[in-house]
Amino acid sequence: MRLDLVLELLDVPGQLLDVMEPISAAGANIVTIIHQRDVKTEKGMVSVQVTIEGDKETLDAVLNLLRERNVNIVEIDGVIQKEKIRTIIIGKIIESDIKDTIERLNNLEGVLVADLDLKMAEHPKESAAKIIVEADFGMKRDVMNKIKEIGEVKNFLVINEI
Amino acid sequence: MNICIMGFGAVGKGVAKVISIKKDELKKKYGLDLKITGVSDSSGAAISPDGLDPNLLLEVKEKEGRVSQYPEYGTDNLTGLNFLEKVDYDCLVEVTPTNIDDGEPARSHMLKAFKDGKDVVTSNKGPLALNFRELTEAALSNKVKFKYEASVGGAMPIINFAHDTLAGCNFESIFGILNGTTNYILSRMAKEGSAYEQTLKEAQEMGIAETDPTQDVEGLDAACKIVILANSIMNKDVSLKDVYINGISKINQESILLAKKEGYLIKLVAEASDDTLEVSPRLVKSGTPFSVDGTMNVATLNTDLAEDVTVVGRGAGSIETASAILSDLINIWKS
Repeated sequence: MRLDLVLELLDVPGQLLDVMEPISAAGANIVTIIHQRDVKTEKGMVSVQVTIEGDKETLDAVLNLLRERNVNIVEIDGVIQKEKIRTIIIGKIIESDIKDTIERLNNLEGVLVADLDLKMAEHPKESAAKIIVEADFGMKRDVMNKIKEIGEVKNFLVINEI
Repeated sequence: MNICIMGFGAVGKGVAKVISIKKDELKKKYGLDLKITGVSDSSGAAISPDGLDPNLLLEVKEKEGRVSQYPEYGTDNLTGLNFLEKVDYDCLVEVTPTNIDDGEPARSHMLKAFKDGKDVVTSNKGPLALNFRELTEAALSNKVKFKYEASVGGAMPIINFAHDTLAGCNFESIFGILNGTTNYILSRMAKEGSAYEQTLKEAQEMGIAETDPTQDVEGLDAACKIVILANSIMNKDVSLKDVYINGISKINQESILLAKKEGYLIKLVAEASDDTLEVSPRLVKSGTPFSVDGTMNVATLNTDLAEDVTVVGRGAGSIETASAILSDLINIWKS
């Protein structure tokens, strides 16, 4: 049987090899591989599409090995493993410790702040920031509530998706 | 069918106007002869068991500023519950100015009408958002009809639509843009890159925002409406105080630009779902039904059988709101 994977890799030498190794170690065959270094995701990562072949145990072993190596698996057989959640916040974003804001989100299991775009307004007006969070599928509500909670503590206006 | 109208502002006058326009058609189509036997405003009333002339009512109100100047049938100082004692009617059209602190005097007017065995049609959000169960139960126990389509979304069909057309469905969530004023302001800000304060001022000059815009821009108006929908359509027992509310007065150009870059717009959205009752600015994708411009209203009902059903329509305006009241009156007549 075959398995289609979409992975995300850091754009540094040796990354692709790190992914190939567990595939061959488990005994699976690579059917196709598409690797475009020019196309970057929001996090500046490179997306790799791989189709591998093998029996079920082999394919499961590949997935386990990839997870052990902390390879970011975005899609398995067309099923998205991560979803993007966009939010805009308005308030005194820098003054109220932007690093802490990001950490509070990253501390949620399976959640990572992937992008942050900040527009400063002239004093005394309030700044606005767009935050894109990548989270394990099904985490959307939790992430949205967490952002709301942070907003309440730090007096941000939170503009979540619907 | 004899009706009395309490409150003769934009909506009350709109009701008189549509009755005047549609009188013959209503007779022909439904055999319905709508007679206005009484009208009251804040300073007095006009009462005639034989029916008042809607055009003359509008003329008197326009010229004199009060309906009590209506020739022969006008009386000063007859308002509120006393008015209801004197007038002979089958259905009360309650369209007095809405009050979101205690719902009065509209709440008392409606309760009295129910007690006297009369049907009630209203556009009045205040009492519905504060005392929904009290009112619907009073109507039920007095075996009279109580309809309030015009209280949410003006001419946009939603309450009767959910109860009648989508009968049999359960409603899992409702999302809506339910306030035309804020949608107008946000649409202009997105289109023209103007600042919030300036856009609000323009809207006030155009008569789209009120002199005191608090109820609209701080989300209270939309909150009243989502409470009515949650109670009426989702069978919840909630009140205005249960709504988590954030208005639009903090929205700046920076945030609108950031949203645009992602292909999104910022809209004031009301949500009623399993664990949420909320009015707040939200990100909506451009090109979806929720990206409506100007003073339009939109709502999506998520149902168990029909999936998502979305309605769009004019959320305010004298004639538009009166159209919803007229449809309630016709439905009461037909049943």
